[in-house]
Amino acid sequence: MVMQTSVLPPAFTEKADARGLLQWINAPERRGPLLVAPALATLFLINILPLLWSFGLSFFNYRANRQALPRFKGLENYADLLTDDRVWERFVTTGLIVSSSVALQLMIGFGLALLFAKNFPMRRLVLMLVLTPMMLSFVSVAIFFKLFYDPTLGILSWFVSLFTGESFALLSTPQGAILGIVVADAWMWSPFVMLLVLAGLVSVPGYLYEAAEIDRASAWTRFRTITFPYVKSLLLLALLFRTIETFKTFDLVFLITEGGPGSSTETIAIYAYRLGFQFFRTSEASALAYMILFVVIVLTSIYLYVVKRRNAAEEV
Amino acid sequence: MTHYLKTGLLLTASMFLGSSALAEDITIRMAAPDWGPTRFMQEYANETYKAPSGNNVKLEIDFIPWPNFFDRVNASLNSGEQKYQMLVSDSQWLGTFIEAGYFLKLNDLIAEDEELQAIIKDLHPALVSGYSTYPNVPADKVAEMGNYSPDINYYGFPQFPDNYFTYYRTDLFCDEGENAAYQAKYGSDLPCDASAWEDMTWDDWGNIGEFFTRSAGETLAGKTLESDFYGVAYQAGKPLDFSTMQINAFFWQWGGGIWDESNEPNSPVLGVVNSDENVAGFERYLELLQHAPPIAKTGQMGIFEIQDLYMQGKIAAIIDWAALAAPVVDPQTSQVSDVTGFGLMPGNMLNGKLDRSANLGGQPFVLTTWNDDEVIAEAIDLVKWWLSEDTQIAAVKAGGQSGLMSVLGNPDYDSWAPWNATYRQSLPWQKDLWHVPEMFEMLTQQQEEFDRAITGQISAREALDAVAEFQDELLRDAERLK
Repeated sequence: MVMQTSVLPPAFTEKADARGLLQWINAPERRGPLLVAPALATLFLINILPLLWSFGLSFFNYRANRQALPRFKGLENYADLLTDDRVWERFVTTGLIVSSSVALQLMIGFGLALLFAKNFPMRRLVLMLVLTPMMLSFVSVAIFFKLFYDPTLGILSWFVSLFTGESFALLSTPQGAILGIVVADAWMWSPFVMLLVLAGLVSVPGYLYEAAEIDRASAWTRFRTITFPYVKSLLLLALLFRTIETFKTFDLVFLITEGGPGSSTETIAIYAYRLGFQFFRTSEASALAYMILFVVIVLTSIYLYVVKRRNAAEEV
Repeated sequence: MTHYLKTGLLLTASMFLGSSALAEDITIRMAAPDWGPTRFMQEYANETYKAPSGNNVKLEIDFIPWPNFFDRVNASLNSGEQKYQMLVSDSQWLGTFIEAGYFLKLNDLIAEDEELQAIIKDLHPALVSGYSTYPNVPADKVAEMGNYSPDINYYGFPQFPDNYFTYYRTDLFCDEGENAAYQAKYGSDLPCDASAWEDMTWDDWGNIGEFFTRSAGETLAGKTLESDFYGVAYQAGKPLDFSTMQINAFFWQWGGGIWDESNEPNSPVLGVVNSDENVAGFERYLELLQHAPPIAKTGQMGIFEIQDLYMQGKIAAIIDWAALAAPVVDPQTSQVSDVTGFGLMPGNMLNGKLDRSANLGGQPFVLTTWNDDEVIAEAIDLVKWWLSEDTQIAAVKAGGQSGLMSVLGNPDYDSWAPWNATYRQSLPWQKDLWHVPEMFEMLTQQQEEFDRAITGQISAREALDAVAEFQDELLRDAERLK
């Protein structure tokens, strides 16, 4: 065999090799995997690898701005974070902002959806205007609300001063600052909830309402037995999306209050940023990021569990 | 004769061609914040800079907006991309990036270059201390050593030195009616010209604040106010280092201080950071905020907010950086451009003397460690060009500042900008914040506690106790404290 190969001209063997390779690649069972391979490789390089890398870092004492070699710490970073009052304080703040803001978004979004489910003059134009906030950038919305709340130049202070005769600084107290952030977030994202719920509402068959009317069902009964079941799953989806997104809130809070007064509006995402990019505690920041990911996974699992139970109940 | 002429011409031509062929194209890329002082540096370099080496050296500044400046520089340095040959750095970042191995130690280069030594000796010691030394050497010790000593580690040179001082409304402070009313109430005159500000204390500042705080409908200098008017304002903001920059002045002026990094690991935190002097200074700072615009209550009164309110004609006097003065006297951007004067920041009587200590601003520029010898040599030539007397005078005339004593001592210096005399007078009072890598954590936590006190959630004592406790633990962990 060796003897035979060695007597063939080199060009001939190269051509044969190339043809063989092409045939091997072109085999139907390999075509699919090979077509998706570049996408998978990219995903691995820019997503999976950094994810694994940062997960590994979370067990060391690595600092991106130091030359010292990383030292293995095991679960120490996680233990330190779990026993750090500052972390818990930020989790509580985040929870407060998430629960208030998402509840407000669901209420306003649902109300708006009910409104836009009916026809009225200039409905399309008004609908377009109502959808605008969620299309704006976080930075624009944050600057807009910062000016809105400004005690010297802001419209809110001007309005309050009409009644009190004094300027009003909403962001001067922890409660006021949280309220300011919740209102800004709800203003921006209620249209998103509305859009999802509206999709559910327009899919309700009209004959169901006609039948209910014949049965003289009250408005509340119609809502409870017809409208709500149709939009329930979409409402749950909105709840999941908005909870996860609000849990990661960074931009709005950082630009409106930068976590102040003190640290009363500092969310866990801002704290993770500070740990990683201001304090250069790279490993601790990675550990905290994984703790945040864990919370988000738990929230998603709860949602999936609820949906599964609901589907099972419907099948029965 | 003709033969000699021909030979001479040939020789000259060959020398010229030879040197052109040998000249290399070298680009020095520098990361810098996007604002006047760095824009001027780029334009002036394009117009005038010729490398003494004969190489075609081009300064290419990567202008980065201030709000993203640290993040971008930090990301670039830590990623290892080695994109920049030079950088403008805030003085407090020095330790972080020096200990990470990114900023070049300049001692050997300075030791073999008398021109560089002369530049260092000509700089104000406060700037050498703040912008160049790491581990930090205080300004008084730098001055004792004549600015240059092989025992000091040098890293940077001033790109733009900066101090804060008082901007005030001359139409109000020199108004006869207002002066009479002020005299009747407080028994002294309003400071009408810059020399009158040399005697001002924080008590006067409080009186001025109280006097000029007026509601819509009241009169001010004979005119009826359409909206509320405020007396005084200085930095009281949580973002960046705003509150700290002004509060440190109160600590120093009341005889207190911050953790002394130049004496680590023997300088204590507990009892220094939360000393009675610091508490008294901080309480005075908080007390004076009552005469500020209501934004002070939110902890968002940063340097741009007070500059903006002042330019809109809503405040009688503010304390702000020299770097922000140019738009204030520009009629295109300011309503009070023609009625603004500049004076020293008030001080506190300490041991029978008026202390005006303040926190140094501005930025040095540094060389990075990955440059080869040729680039280092060109970068050093660029430093010499920037810190040459002619370039510095041009920079000052364009609205910048200089740190060179020879330029500051120019008899025409004060006439080049209306705030120059004040800048020059306040320079000896400048001290800097810490430079150690732990600075970011210390600053962030301190800003949070200061913000709590500014927004009335805790007292000055509680805030400083919390700051001291945090810094003590952090610095012990970092082995910077015994």
